[in-house]
Amino acid sequence: MTPGVATKLCVCLGVAALTVLALSSCGGGGKESSTRTLSWFVAIQPGGSIEKVAERCSKESGGKYKVEPEFLPTDASQQREQLVRRLGAEDSSIDIIGMDVIWTGEFANAGWVEEWKGPLKRQVTEKVFPGVIETASFEGKLYAAPFNTNTQLLWYRKDLVPKPPRTWDEMIDEAEKLGRANAGTIQVQASRYEGFMVWANALIESAGTPILSGPEKLDLKQGPTEKALAVMGRLANSPAAPAGLSTSDEDSARLAFEAGESAFMTNYTFAYASAQAEAPKIGKEMGYARFPRVDANRPSKPPLGGFNLAVSSYSENKDIDFEAAACLAGKQSQLTAVELDGLPPSRSDLYANKVVTKAYPGFAGLVKQSIEGAGPRPTTPAYQDVSSALQRTLHPPEKIDPEDTESIYDELKSNLEAAVKREGLL
Amino acid sequence: MEASAAPRPRVSQKTRSERRLAWMLCAPAVLAMLAVTAYPIGYAIVLSVQKIDLRFPDESGFVGLSNYGSVLSSELWWTDIFNTLFVMIISVAIELVLGMAIALVMHRAIFGRGIVRTSVLIPYGIITVVAAFAWQFAFAPDTGFVNHLPLISEEMDWFGGRFSSFAVIILAEIWKTTPFMALLLLAGLVTIDGQLYEAAKVDGASAWQRFTRITLPLMKPAILVALLFRTLDGFRVFDTIFVMTRGAQDTESVSILGYNQLISRLNLGLGSAVSVLIFLCVFLIAFLFVKGFGARLDEGRPGG
Amino acid sequence: MKRGSRDYATWSVAIAVVLIFALIPVLWLISLSLKPPSAVTDQRFIPSEISLDNYKSLFEGGISDSPFIKPLINSIAIALITTVIAITLASFAAYAIARLEFPGKRVILAGALAIAMFPPISTVGPLFDMWRALGLYDTYPGLIIPYLTFSLPLAIYVLVAFFREIPWELEQAAQVDGATPFQAFRKVIVPLAAPGVFTAAILVFIFAWNDFVFAISLTSSDASRTVPAALAFFTGESSFTQPTGSIAAAAVVVTVPIIVFVLFFQRRIVSGLTAGAVKG
Repeated sequence: MTPGVATKLCVCLGVAALTVLALSSCGGGGKESSTRTLSWFVAIQPGGSIEKVAERCSKESGGKYKVEPEFLPTDASQQREQLVRRLGAEDSSIDIIGMDVIWTGEFANAGWVEEWKGPLKRQVTEKVFPGVIETASFEGKLYAAPFNTNTQLLWYRKDLVPKPPRTWDEMIDEAEKLGRANAGTIQVQASRYEGFMVWANALIESAGTPILSGPEKLDLKQGPTEKALAVMGRLANSPAAPAGLSTSDEDSARLAFEAGESAFMTNYTFAYASAQAEAPKIGKEMGYARFPRVDANRPSKPPLGGFNLAVSSYSENKDIDFEAAACLAGKQSQLTAVELDGLPPSRSDLYANKVVTKAYPGFAGLVKQSIEGAGPRPTTPAYQDVSSALQRTLHPPEKIDPEDTESIYDELKSNLEAAVKREGLL
Repeated sequence: MEASAAPRPRVSQKTRSERRLAWMLCAPAVLAMLAVTAYPIGYAIVLSVQKIDLRFPDESGFVGLSNYGSVLSSELWWTDIFNTLFVMIISVAIELVLGMAIALVMHRAIFGRGIVRTSVLIPYGIITVVAAFAWQFAFAPDTGFVNHLPLISEEMDWFGGRFSSFAVIILAEIWKTTPFMALLLLAGLVTIDGQLYEAAKVDGASAWQRFTRITLPLMKPAILVALLFRTLDGFRVFDTIFVMTRGAQDTESVSILGYNQLISRLNLGLGSAVSVLIFLCVFLIAFLFVKGFGARLDEGRPGG
Repeated sequence: MKRGSRDYATWSVAIAVVLIFALIPVLWLISLSLKPPSAVTDQRFIPSEISLDNYKSLFEGGISDSPFIKPLINSIAIALITTVIAITLASFAAYAIARLEFPGKRVILAGALAIAMFPPISTVGPLFDMWRALGLYDTYPGLIIPYLTFSLPLAIYVLVAFFREIPWELEQAAQVDGATPFQAFRKVIVPLAAPGVFTAAILVFIFAWNDFVFAISLTSSDASRTVPAALAFFTGESSFTQPTGSIAAAAVVVTVPIIVFVLFFQRRIVSGLTAGAVKG
């Protein structure tokens, strides 16, 4: 190849490459109109409730705004990753955020979401469960409009277990009595992910102590915590533990239950509809009860999940964002969400509504009761640290010795103390 | 071929125009590589000497090397280094041997070469997260078929223990990237002149001798490139471990550690320090490789 | 050399072993994709009943609504464009490095290696910022450019290793024999360079095809989202249900272009050295 030929080839290919790049970056132009488009960054829901809600609210605004859902991946930690990348870059393309309850402290402290005040604040908190309002608040201020909530029930096989157990110890005894070959196992979520924190937190709260008593203050009283740890350790080391316990999540739990492998399962409300659709024979025998107690004398504190709608601090449409979010989180939207996607409403007055009772046949009241008594996860800007530290310390649960929970309690306490102060490597 | 016998002015002119041509040929590639990485890598280095947590924006500041200090003095970092090296060394070693065997089959099979070569590359072409997920699903006691194979207990919880998890992770890694090795080794094999083998056979050399005396030495550059890049990638293993155990059971790799600091904790300072340290480790490995092999990739063929 | 039946038998065994090793997990994926949702945990390798529902759900809705078709098109286009550009740029650079003397040769090689060594996760954040500022976010070039950056080092190294082995004097020899420079290049150099070029092409294509980290962070819609990123948006029946079947089906479908690409290229990874050429 002579220099001349090479040069010509270089130039030709360079031009070709640039042309290709230029052509492929041609995108569609935007429409000029007086209707503002609000981007709603929210997790994709399979039943289509998000699109329906967005469409309805856009129409009801009478041309003032149009809500465009921008979907986030299905996995919660990927949702967060996408959001924090943009919010950290002060991206103005986000208007409304579908915020998981555990992100509230983090996002609020970072200055990424706006505070709700005045009449709209009253509107979006009207009739909402107090515990759910707490999940949308940080340091006394409201940072999001409650939308969906979620909680876990105890699901069991009516044909194998005549009366549902009241405490975890009872449940483990019953499962052991049934024997592994006869569905004598208990499904929970104990893989090393947020679901494990959900389980651990529910056990600790049910035992009688919260993990944190303030955004930076560790509570974790020794007596109750050790009780909760003992339950964890006992289950994990007993024959009632399913083989894949340390990698179980909500999906593997419901699959195992639907396959008839376990007589007991703690899982979210979706489990009922899923069993009816996927395994009707099992679904017919599916009983429900409140999340089991840790302490026989204390009512259990079931897990609390859900999404609230926040307004991004970098949005260029803040004047109408609140209004739009209030509609998106409102009563009608919540009913759509429960109808199409089975997501529990955050308004307590909706549980007598026939849409809800149809979605939760026979257990709508139990769901309401569970949410009212729920034990939420700690609210703190360092939530990820706290959750990681707990997971790292307690996973896999087999390592917890139910007879001697003191040393692991000490380890948990010191790791969480460091986590709350965001020290060290996690 | 340099015309060393030509008069002086012509040589330096030729050299200059040769250099100009060389830079022009390299320029587009260099530009493409730098444009994207100069800012991000520079930015990462700058971040690594600061204390920055996106969730607490008021607390940022320059802290010198203290992030590096925190990382290097942390037990977790060293455990993860061990995990990463463990997975990497075992995978790469097995892949090299398997890859060589498969490359030989791909090269010398007397029939079905196209099918073999294509099939071998399919694992490499499957989306990494999906492949890891498929392996995880296969080995999980409640969903997979592995526990029903002969000699394996039905209750075996592969992901319930450290080294059994490692076994599955390594198996998945080997499956996924042996094709990469095999492909590069195959391409090295095809450049060997068949006549050398003929001549050696005439001289009475056995198959093993032909392999060790002809094949291996002539494949040295291909082996080096394959090992080098596979090792670099292997040290940064993320997807396979993340999908299978999320780093549980003490199987966490250094990349997962970096991810946790950078994304979960939004601690950009620590996360960037971890990234820079990973980079330095990989650099060290590459350095040892190149020195160890004594290979000079930039030289032309001896004799012009 | 006689090709006895023993040879065929040995090779059959060898080939079978290789095929089994390569294909068992693929068969498992196919099996998962053919199982109806209720049977996904039946722990059987071979499904007890076959259902094409997972595949149907991938394609329903046509180009605009299917979660899969547009990403598939994006993946194919982006991977192809990346491969063409990467091979071109890498060939030029590799030719220069292998054949010519110039200062900065080692720096380029070392630098290329350094770039390949940096953890991608750290580069995604700043890249996101850069692309938003430049308007390249959620576009084809927005992905092609990083893919070029991170595949060029490997391509360059592979091609340098190859070009080093080519007996360049053959080109002169052919010209002495009466061929024009272009003919000499085409008939002598190109076949010798082919194994390296096609190997590098396969590697670049698969890299661009498989990437997840950049695809998920530098795209936000079907405009440029590729299949690996699109998989993260697949849902099961509820937000807690893993869409195992559809993910498996998507993975199977997405392997087909790879098979086509590799089948086409692998034939061209053949030796360019012939007895006649060396002697000439």
